Amino acid sequence: MSLEARAVTKSFGAAMALRGVSLAVAAGEVHGLMGENGAGKSTLIKILTGFHQPSGGELLLDGQAVVFDSPRAAQRLGVAAVYQEINLIPERSVAANVFLGREPRQGLLIDRRRMEAETAAILARFGLPVSPRARLASLGLGLQQMVSIARTVSLGARVVILDEPSSALSGAEVEVLFGVVEALRRDGIGVVFVSHRLSECYRLCDRLTVLRDGRTVASATPAELPREALIAAMLGREGGLGSPPSAVAASGPAGAARLSVRGLHWRNRVRDVSLEVGSGEIVGLAGLLGAGRTETLKALFGAERPDSGTIRLDGRALTQPSPSRSLGLGLGFLSEDRRAEGIFPGLSVRENLTAAVLPRLARFGIVSRRRQDALVSRFVASLGIKTAGPGQAIGGLSGGNQQKVLLARCLSLEPRVVMLDDPTRGIDVGAKAEVHRAIRSLAEQGLGVLVTSSEIEELLALAGRLVVLSEGAVAGGMSTAGAEPETMLALLAAAPAAGVA
Amino acid sequence: MSTPVDVAAAPRVAATSLWGAAAWLKARSVYVAFALLVGFDMLATPGFQNPFAVRSLLFTAAPLILIALGQSLAIGTRGIDLSVGSVMGLASAMIGLSLGAGAAVALPLGVLTGLAAGALNGALVALLGIDPLISGLALLVAARGLAQAMLGGARVNLPPGVAYATLGRAVFAGLPLVAIGALAVAGLVGFAVARSVWGRRVVFVGASRTASFLAGVPVRRTLLLVYGASGLLAGLAGVMATARLGAADPNYIGAGAELDAIAAAVIGGTPLSGGRISILGSVFGVLLLTVLDASFIMNDVNGNYAQMLKAGFIIAALYLQRSGG
Repeated sequence: MSLEARAVTKSFGAAMALRGVSLAVAAGEVHGLMGENGAGKSTLIKILTGFHQPSGGELLLDGQAVVFDSPRAAQRLGVAAVYQEINLIPERSVAANVFLGREPRQGLLIDRRRMEAETAAILARFGLPVSPRARLASLGLGLQQMVSIARTVSLGARVVILDEPSSALSGAEVEVLFGVVEALRRDGIGVVFVSHRLSECYRLCDRLTVLRDGRTVASATPAELPREALIAAMLGREGGLGSPPSAVAASGPAGAARLSVRGLHWRNRVRDVSLEVGSGEIVGLAGLLGAGRTETLKALFGAERPDSGTIRLDGRALTQPSPSRSLGLGLGFLSEDRRAEGIFPGLSVRENLTAAVLPRLARFGIVSRRRQDALVSRFVASLGIKTAGPGQAIGGLSGGNQQKVLLARCLSLEPRVVMLDDPTRGIDVGAKAEVHRAIRSLAEQGLGVLVTSSEIEELLALAGRLVVLSEGAVAGGMSTAGAEPETMLALLAAAPAAGVA
Repeated sequence: MSTPVDVAAAPRVAATSLWGAAAWLKARSVYVAFALLVGFDMLATPGFQNPFAVRSLLFTAAPLILIALGQSLAIGTRGIDLSVGSVMGLASAMIGLSLGAGAAVALPLGVLTGLAAGALNGALVALLGIDPLISGLALLVAARGLAQAMLGGARVNLPPGVAYATLGRAVFAGLPLVAIGALAVAGLVGFAVARSVWGRRVVFVGASRTASFLAGVPVRRTLLLVYGASGLLAGLAGVMATARLGAADPNYIGAGAELDAIAAAVIGGTPLSGGRISILGSVFGVLLLTVLDASFIMNDVNGNYAQMLKAGFIIAALYLQRSGG
């Protein structure tokens, strides 16, 4: 089945979200949909899946004009999307989630045995190492997403839109995803693959379509559209992304360690992590999904109470860590989950940015609006946050700018060491480069930076040194000087794969 | 967001189109509804224009305003305080029990009783992590029971005295003193919500508990103070209501008041999903419900139908509020 959008426009009140987008997905084709935040990808997806009606243009299914007047209509005709955020029930089993809303019945009761057997067959088709009876929440984010894809296809989708499916994944999990996409291709299912990761798109896609400012600005095969041309099309300008490792990041720990960790343990997720971060050093915490990167950072920060281990910050022991204590001692943390753990939805940029530092901006418990706004404008300038003003709602900002606000919150307490958990996750190329610049300038100011990323290339470009985690323990370290992604892949591959199943 | 300060600034969003005008109105449905209801009453309700009727209304509204303030704080954290009505009753019973010691002891003791109940509720929520719905429900039952036990279930008349009379009857510039007091407290709470570190943290906790925790916000302390404050305000409300009634009554004082407080807060623009508090809206929510009750009575609407009409009115107001979000 082929799906085509022809010269689709969409306006919301006075705002034009789409100004003429065309996209054609053939059966069995993997079609990359790319563009910076605000290019119109989300709106297009919502039109393709029936959440929105186009203001102009038309949708064609197998060459016939169709109208998706609801998501249900789109689903019935075989078009469905799997979103970045997983819309399943974490507390129920994999099988219950796959068959959510259409459980096989035996009389009045759910036929659990049949449901589990059929789920097992579906999972096997996609090569997913998951038990149908496992609680969904017990799986990693990556596998949860695969279950979500499996569910969508089992609902009869013939065109599947994957909205940033890999943003939560890394290493082996991405390979699992690629396997799933290959299985879809084999079955003649059309795939719209939305991703910020160019290398994945080049590896996976048969065709690439680039949106900018609500228009289709390029559509070609990967061979016809080399990286430079693609990025130029996305950004609307000629410009490379060259980000060579900075001088400070090139060498090993210089001088005394600002952050020193010995024998950190937390449940079975962090099992013996020791590492050091020096002044002016950017250390990358690498590892597959499930290797314990996030858990390590959270245990260090005190968001999870570590079971054992010593943490020293500029030589001072951090005992009984808790977020407020860590922040007070100069250890900052940026969560990977911007929506659930970062922003205060509905509140302003000002509130979001100054949330952690309020007591320092207050006298007798009353916050000084003037000092708040001074701090906000300082960070708006230094990080290049694009906002209409300190009073703008955080939700009105692009993902990249939201992330910069959260980075500013993290820096507002003037930390000695910052831990950034996948700071460029799900943000566009331009914002990514700016976040990289900000991180480098932190290191140049003498801070210690511990950073993770789900993109190998990013870690290599950003960090001077990598600490590689495997199954919650440090498996090794390497300098990034002259290292290729393949070098790190080899190192990751050499380490035993993380147990995620 | 929806602090009194911002409500004043919000009309800058120009209502250019009809749709915009409708949205603008919806976002302020509590004020519009209040104006419409008062307009209707002025024209059609016999006796409503009498200043004594207004005065009586404000005497009734004053304690409700206080508990609606506490309720707004609790709801702002994505919680709820179901205990406020019973805590009013408990404060009343404490006054009845300590009448012998004089008003100078009995009245502060009533307020402190509220604080103690609120602190207990806060400890259950913040320290033991009990769902506020459950702890509030437990306290609702327990405080009412304790109040009845303290006075043996009977009403105790207050002795004559300046303090009781001042709280119960005094009028300044045409307004009941207690109403002026309640509005002053509302101003204070509104300012605290808009500008104090604690007030902003209340909103942060409601907007995202996890993000607050990771941003170093002392979530437990903030919650403890919220429920403590709500209890304190309920104690004060119990004192006012007792003085107005001229008697300590463990059965009557505050009965069902928690529902009015919740409705007032939510109608006023403090959503149950937390992260937003409108103190001005809560005050007008109370005024709206009080005027509504009075309208039914003054138009001789049968009490049973009045309840149903009120429920319908609340649902309509909430619906508008929801769409206006």
